[in-house]
Amino acid sequence: MKFSAIRPIALVLSRELVITVLLLLGVSFVVFIILFASPGDPFSVLLEGQLSTAEAKAGLRDAMGVPRSWYVQYLAWLAGMLSGNFGTSIRMGLPVLPEVLRVGFSTLILTIGSLIITLLIAVPIALYSALRGTNKISWPLTMSSYVISALPVFWLGYIVIYFFTHKLGLFPIAFGFSSAGQKYRWLYQLLPIFVLGVGNGTISEVIRYLRQEMGRVMAEDYIRTARAKGASVWKHAFKEGLLIPVTEIIASKIPFILGGAVIVEQVFNWPGMGRMAWQAAQDRDYPVIMGIAILAAFFVRMGSLFQRVVYVALNPRASKE
Amino acid sequence: MKKYYQISGQISEFSDLPFWKKADVVDLVYVGYGLLIVALVVVSYILGSVNLLPRDPQDIDLQLIMAPPGTAGRLLGTDFMGRDILSRLIVGIQAYFLPGLLAILIALCFGTGFGVLVGYRSEKFDTGITYFTNLVDSFPRLVLILLVIAAFKPDIYYIMLVVGLTNVPVVASLVKGKIQFLKQKNFIEADIALGLPTRIIIFRHILWHHCRSLLIIQATLGMAEAILIETSLSYLGFGVQEPTPSWGNMVQSGANYFMQGKFWPSTAPALAILFTILAFHLLGDGLNNILEDKRST
Amino acid sequence: MTTAPILKIEDLRTYFYSRSKQAFIRSVDGVSLEIAKGETLGVVGESGSGKSVTALSILGLISVGPGVISGKIGFHSDRIQKDLLQDLGDFVKLTTRAGKVMEVTKDVVGWERNTERVMSKVRGKEIAMTFQNPKSSLNPFTSVGKQITEAIRLHTAMKIEREAKERALTWLDRVKIDSPRLRFDNYPYGLSGGMCQRAMIAVALASEPSLLIADEPTTGLDATIQSKIVDLLVELKSELGITTMLISHDISIISRLSESVAVMYGGTVFEYGPAKHILSAGFESKHPYTSALLASIPSAQNIREKGYLPAIEGDVLDTINIPEGCRFYSRCNQVTEKIREKCARQEPDLRQIESGHKVRCWLYFD
Repeated sequence: MKFSAIRPIALVLSRELVITVLLLLGVSFVVFIILFASPGDPFSVLLEGQLSTAEAKAGLRDAMGVPRSWYVQYLAWLAGMLSGNFGTSIRMGLPVLPEVLRVGFSTLILTIGSLIITLLIAVPIALYSALRGTNKISWPLTMSSYVISALPVFWLGYIVIYFFTHKLGLFPIAFGFSSAGQKYRWLYQLLPIFVLGVGNGTISEVIRYLRQEMGRVMAEDYIRTARAKGASVWKHAFKEGLLIPVTEIIASKIPFILGGAVIVEQVFNWPGMGRMAWQAAQDRDYPVIMGIAILAAFFVRMGSLFQRVVYVALNPRASKE
Repeated sequence: MKKYYQISGQISEFSDLPFWKKADVVDLVYVGYGLLIVALVVVSYILGSVNLLPRDPQDIDLQLIMAPPGTAGRLLGTDFMGRDILSRLIVGIQAYFLPGLLAILIALCFGTGFGVLVGYRSEKFDTGITYFTNLVDSFPRLVLILLVIAAFKPDIYYIMLVVGLTNVPVVASLVKGKIQFLKQKNFIEADIALGLPTRIIIFRHILWHHCRSLLIIQATLGMAEAILIETSLSYLGFGVQEPTPSWGNMVQSGANYFMQGKFWPSTAPALAILFTILAFHLLGDGLNNILEDKRST
Repeated sequence: MTTAPILKIEDLRTYFYSRSKQAFIRSVDGVSLEIAKGETLGVVGESGSGKSVTALSILGLISVGPGVISGKIGFHSDRIQKDLLQDLGDFVKLTTRAGKVMEVTKDVVGWERNTERVMSKVRGKEIAMTFQNPKSSLNPFTSVGKQITEAIRLHTAMKIEREAKERALTWLDRVKIDSPRLRFDNYPYGLSGGMCQRAMIAVALASEPSLLIADEPTTGLDATIQSKIVDLLVELKSELGITTMLISHDISIISRLSESVAVMYGGTVFEYGPAKHILSAGFESKHPYTSALLASIPSAQNIREKGYLPAIEGDVLDTINIPEGCRFYSRCNQVTEKIREKCARQEPDLRQIESGHKVRCWLYFD
């Protein structure tokens, strides 16, 4: 990367940032519309929840009187949101944003950890398959990863818990531990990360995509030139064949992993966004579920932004587009 | 060691082999296995809807709790309430089969509709479609579904409607991409120059000849996704409720017994989920390779 | 020939395999040629004649199908003297029926490993190759200059980046790329086709090889650029005197640059000899294919002679179905009654008709 490249890269990135903001706005709109279209009047609950005093709430009802048009309601709510007010949880009576951020961080750890595990397993298999083709070693590996990926992740969770508790003789299932299980606590914390990384179906998708991309790159003309001049093929192929596809598949699988997190957090009682969303859906706790939906979308877009940054940094032509 | 051989000296220009000879064995196995499972699912669905089951899935028999497979005519054993697992698995298919088809139908119909519209008619909507695709992709499916559940009700058909709609942009951009590819290769221009009616260009040439493999694959992936979502939702308690069986809630209710070392009531439905989802994925993979003349390597 | 030729190919066969037809694609089916030190050999032929595949086979770049299955590629430079296909027999077993190879059993993985081992000392350092699509043959993620310095640091004594960069700049200058210092940091997408081709030539020459293989250096470029590239090659030739194998279907550039010519058709060499004999108009002993080829080149003389541009009748050889007998029989317009039987039934071998000039045609042998 040269310094001369920084200005066009900054331009491209600011454009990406604008798009991200537009998308997040769109997300908030979709979330709003869903709620608006639902029976009952969840909406006033939402708006009221953004106010803290009873008088203010009563004032809102008066001011609303005749139901206002939806776009005004949307803007009012959006304005509240942008100033950090995501409303109040119906069930808990706590303000939504700090709670959601708290569990969001927890889920973030789970997500990133599981991604690391997925990549550690999938990347070597994908690369080996791409370079050596289908043979006695790559096929069983690929096939078994497909099978393990197709396992329902909740069941995988049970198996892992069972082995952990019975074979290792540790019984605490709840997240908070007594002193007895202290030293294994951190190990237990790794379990959901392991399960989400291995069981969610992400591995098979990653292997498929990476192998396809690396295979495509290996057939490119410039790799042939590199080989012809005796250069290291890997040095030439890995940018387009590994780095870029890995960031692409990571960014595109984040929503998928977050979905899996909902389940894994259930199984392991991990205090994350997924478990909170599940609880909120049961309780019809609209502010919470909306806050989580928006935070989830935010994570996804951050991942996408990251992928664009890497792409623009690596691809000399991208800064001109 | 690889062996290459040629049988006769003279090869005619048209002697391309039928697909079952020139396709990779692996792909044929994938497709075979996939079709087998699909057949089983369809048959089970039919059996389930007319209630032609080996035993009554709700029939509680406390004498036979947790019986291993084969006991007293229960092919797959019984669960923790003595109910026949096989019958429950068959009935469990009802939970996702039709809803899954709904999701696929919506995704494919609207997806190809939009794809053809944007690809064929005008490129003006391209930015719009891209924005929309990115928008839909920003939501984790399950979170969006939980949102819908909170707002409306946990009806599997509503949910599959949502799933189908979220897949519309995916199908649309695939179809649009194919059309742009064909445009670039001048296929479509040639068709127009030949004076073919638009109807034929779109339906026969574009959709049937060029898009059918991608649509079939989207259908298989769609079904796999539908199964995954339905079972996850009923596992989480939002879908079909006990005592009506769904593969997801069967795993969930067997969970306690699992921890006590009695695996089967949870494992049987989990394996059903595994083999079925795997079948659809492999079917999609194998068909893709065969129809596109690729190798599975 | 007093000194050993730098490259001597004997009866090279490289086959591919069509799974849908379950038959071999005999791209290179018995090619023999040699290149003497310091000379330029022009390999002429239509598309599909096997010229590029021959070049790729020399460097061991065939990665599909059975690939190279028999033959010898003798390479003799100051540093290395060996048959590059020396161990091939250990990895390949052939079964022939009626004179044609019908079955190939090859340890593909093992041969690949062996090739890498053998060729790693040859590629770049001894033999360098330029390719037909210059834009796609350069790494789009690395600057052009870095691709040249990579070659320099790998194969010459200059291992330090700064030295290599200086040398790379002189190369860029030598291939007539303007403002070398600026162009050094350019990426391939920012260069025109002609400049990319020049850059590729620079990459190849920068590793100071004993043999340069140029595969269709002018194809795909605009006509005016084409002649400029040829001018460059002529200049480099007189400056550096590097042994070259020039592959092209454009006879005019072959004639400007080559001392010897090999005419290929259907995977084999039809004629091989000094360029001034083969390509000049008046000279008599020529393979019917060569004469027909020369007659079909748009030129004032050809049109004056006939009034129209004569084309060769028939279709190009299908490399799956190679006929019995001479490959050109069905299209040849010089078959006499005396040799008709022979032409139809038996393939002629490449025989010398005079010093340094070989032809594969029954017309010249009884």
